[in-house]
Amino acid sequence: MASALEQFVNNVRALTAEENFRELSSVLTKFNDVLKKNVQHLDNVLETLDLQQHSIGILAVLCAKFSDFNFVSVTMEVFKPLFNQVQEFIVGCNGEQVRLVPDMYAELCHHFTDALVEVKMPIRGIDLLCRAIRKIQLYDSQLTSIHGDLCKLCLLAKCFKPALEFLDIDITGISTDDDAKYFLLYFYYGGMIYTALKNYERALYFFEVCVMTPATAVSHIMLEAYKKYILVSLILNGKIILLPNYTSNLVKRHIKRLSIPYQELATAYSTNSCDDVQEIIEKYQEVFVRDNNIGLVKQVLSFLYKKNIQRLTNTFLTLSLSDVAARVKLPGPADAEQYILNMIEDGEIFATINQKDGMVIFHDDPEKYDSPRMLAKLEKEMAECAELGKKVLEMEEEVIVTPQYVRKACGQNDPDDQAAGPPPTNVSNAQSQPKHNTYTM
Amino acid sequence: MIKDIDKFLSDLEKGELETADGLPHSQMYSQLLAIYLFQNELCYAKYLWKRIPINIKNSCSDVRSIWTVAQKMWQRDWPAVHIALNVEWNKNVADIMNALKERIRERAIILISEAYSSLDITTLAKMIGLSPEESRKIAIEKGWHVVGTIIKPHKIYKQQTSSTVEAITEEQLYKLTQFVSFLEN
Repeated sequence: MASALEQFVNNVRALTAEENFRELSSVLTKFNDVLKKNVQHLDNVLETLDLQQHSIGILAVLCAKFSDFNFVSVTMEVFKPLFNQVQEFIVGCNGEQVRLVPDMYAELCHHFTDALVEVKMPIRGIDLLCRAIRKIQLYDSQLTSIHGDLCKLCLLAKCFKPALEFLDIDITGISTDDDAKYFLLYFYYGGMIYTALKNYERALYFFEVCVMTPATAVSHIMLEAYKKYILVSLILNGKIILLPNYTSNLVKRHIKRLSIPYQELATAYSTNSCDDVQEIIEKYQEVFVRDNNIGLVKQVLSFLYKKNIQRLTNTFLTLSLSDVAARVKLPGPADAEQYILNMIEDGEIFATINQKDGMVIFHDDPEKYDSPRMLAKLEKEMAECAELGKKVLEMEEEVIVTPQYVRKACGQNDPDDQAAGPPPTNVSNAQSQPKHNTYTM
Repeated sequence: MIKDIDKFLSDLEKGELETADGLPHSQMYSQLLAIYLFQNELCYAKYLWKRIPINIKNSCSDVRSIWTVAQKMWQRDWPAVHIALNVEWNKNVADIMNALKERIRERAIILISEAYSSLDITTLAKMIGLSPEESRKIAIEKGWHVVGTIIKPHKIYKQQTSSTVEAITEEQLYKLTQFVSFLEN
């Protein structure tokens, strides 16, 4: 058996020396079983390989070690040696080499993540996965399947800041051959992180991407994302924002049926009656608790109070605090004062309280749109749009020259008439629609 | 410490992730928590509290009393915030917590000036955590009308901060050309 391992080492060394990495990665798959059968000798194998030179070989060995590792009720002490090996590898490996075997690299990170979750030390892996992503990324806005792992660890560790560094960058490219699962998970976990930090706009966008991803069946990830999408949408907009019409029809059809309690909540919400919403929450308490959404559901209710106060500003110029309390069904004028005070601070309404007479005076929005700040904001958003437009053009050009597109465009029309120029408008429509959501505007 | 607080914060955050045995000491946590409050990052503070190990929560009174402040800030119960802040702080967080105290008071004064056209002096005193006499002094300093126990605040106009440095004309022109060329094409 040891000879098989020797053969492996020799292969790795020879092919690395020749810089024939393609051949090497195909050879490695053959050795997979050999490695898995000889787990006890793998540390010796590691010693014979050089971290920088034989990164691919070491990666294969580490993956094999993980596949043999039994994580159930494992402690940190047992995992520690392997943890250190992975750490050493990710810090020191040759980025160019591992980029040739992205699948195996990602597999290592998935295993590593699972192990840390199992030993209940998620915070220990955050820094390392950040490095791992940076190492394999070709450019900052590229999504890898490791992104999802990082978000998962951050969620479990309740430490979100490191993930934000990646989440705040809009994705413009996806590393090839990634499993759709990790794509969906990234957007689902990302949405959860933004929800936890109360950045609801961004959260809504992430959940939306998750739900509108082209699919032939509704996955659990999508369904859970849709439930949270409804709740965040209620908090942010007071109603369910319709899914964009490029969402796959199948998903649209089934997902409503699978989220009935949430639909009913939204219906109750649309009546603006806090009692109705409360009733629905009690009715489906169990479901909301089981889905781990109860906290978010309660927030929906407290936002309804705020929304009702906001609605008062449309009808009244002045109102007494006790009237406010009565109309939005708060216990007393003091609670109403507290709510209004908080909303004024957040800039959600514009009003002044007159404590002497117990009155509130509502004002219009004092923003005149003439400040330099507003101009700067406008400029920033226009620059973003211009950037987006450029991106769409680039992608369009890319699509136009692909053989499949040319064949299809010519095949449908009369080849003689249209061969020279396929109608570009179609492409730009198809391309620009999903892209428009890169920015939440 | 207050001057380059951002750097200090990022050092602490890094320190937390890199601690070899996953057991950073309590001083780090109390400083992190205090800085989050100072920057009014209540969400970060909340989740930091959730990930502080239970033994540190039990052993370190600093962490616990800072968390009380955080809870009151979360509820925006201003009188309670001031009460919670009036504690003798340990040396390593005293700077930040005293700065926080100042910041909270400023914030309350701005809020009052925006939200109230008249209020009772006791409400004012509670919200800025001072005695009624001191509050009256502050109100007069700000030029607010004081009639008996009723105070009539003016709005405090925030000066346009210098963050919007006036762009040079050429730069403006360049930007405009960019936009126009984008729209035309």
